[in-house]
Amino acid sequence: MSDDLGDLGRFAEPSLLILVSLGAGPRHGYGIMADVEDIGGARLGPGTLYAALARLEARGLIESLPSEDRRRPYRITALGVRTLRARLAGLDELVRTGLTRLDSPTEL
Amino acid sequence: MNRLARAILRLYPPTWRDRYGPELDDLVAHRRMRIRDIADLLAGAIDARLHPQLAGPMRLAAAAQAPPAAVLPVPAPAPPPAFGPAGPLPQATLTRRSFMRRMLGVGIGILSLEFLGGTLAFLWPPPAEGIGVEHRVGTPREIIGISPEWATGRPWEFRPARAFLVNVAAAKAMAMGEQLEVTDPAASGILALWRKCPHLGCMIPTACETRSRFQCLCHQSTYNIIGEKLQLGPAPRGMDRFPVRIDQDGFVIVDTRELIKGPPTGSVTFHDPYPIDVGCA
Repeated sequence: MSDDLGDLGRFAEPSLLILVSLGAGPRHGYGIMADVEDIGGARLGPGTLYAALARLEARGLIESLPSEDRRRPYRITALGVRTLRARLAGLDELVRTGLTRLDSPTEL
Repeated sequence: MNRLARAILRLYPPTWRDRYGPELDDLVAHRRMRIRDIADLLAGAIDARLHPQLAGPMRLAAAAQAPPAAVLPVPAPAPPPAFGPAGPLPQATLTRRSFMRRMLGVGIGILSLEFLGGTLAFLWPPPAEGIGVEHRVGTPREIIGISPEWATGRPWEFRPARAFLVNVAAAKAMAMGEQLEVTDPAASGILALWRKCPHLGCMIPTACETRSRFQCLCHQSTYNIIGEKLQLGPAPRGMDRFPVRIDQDGFVIVDTRELIKGPPTGSVTFHDPYPIDVGCA
């Protein structure tokens, strides 16, 4: 079973970026922000970041680890991994469909 | 900027700050904040107040050494007494307070949207598609075909240019109470009077039938049938006009790229039979 990120509205894309970032291992908020910028996502504002983190946590897609000096690391859960995989597979299919259509000039 | 950002964190609800406050404060303290981060934090504070259930009890990972509090048996809430003050409120998803708060937010939001929309609509340039172009109106015969009274002097409203076309010789005769039919006026015999009052820009209505004068409804500025300002009303000059010419095909051309200012008040060349200091009534 996996969750659906689509109903997160304007937090769907930040949530996806956060899950991707946490796919490499636990990070705290600051680290997620920097990593998302590194992997080419849009700059996440601090308010957006924590609004998305709270939603992901409420849905059980991520969980928080014990705080280390005010910075609390977050870790992706098993449900989060399944959700991320499903979402990425969907995107992958979209990418391939798009590229295939572009490569077949008969439709143009 | 960072100080402002940290001040905004106080706008988050207390439960949220208990849960996320320290780490968000730490993040804000260690990163250069920009103006849009401030806006983002404001939006986050509003979001947190709209969704108080998001900052629920902390769910630490199973690996954490602290025993998860949620597992502890929670004593069932005592039934509220039938009379007197109610017991602790049950944790409903939508309490009266959160409902009121949400409605307040929605109300403020709608109000700001209306205000913003009104401001933008006010700043938007007025639609003026017909002004600034050359209009090919038609031949005088075609105008008479549309408005037969134009031949006997009644001004015809040419809407695209927002102007009254005046068949001058016939119009003067009509204002004098005489009957004169001019079916083929020359360009010099046609006026295109812009309907915008030179006083404050109100739309001047059709010439009144009683005295064949134009009178602005806003401040009673009164003009004779050829658009000269009479004594009544505050307008500083006669009605402004557009150049009129007739091309080789016989078409009347109204050129709204150029605006000719009306003659100044006091220089009246045409006198109809009525007193100069009255309007239409």
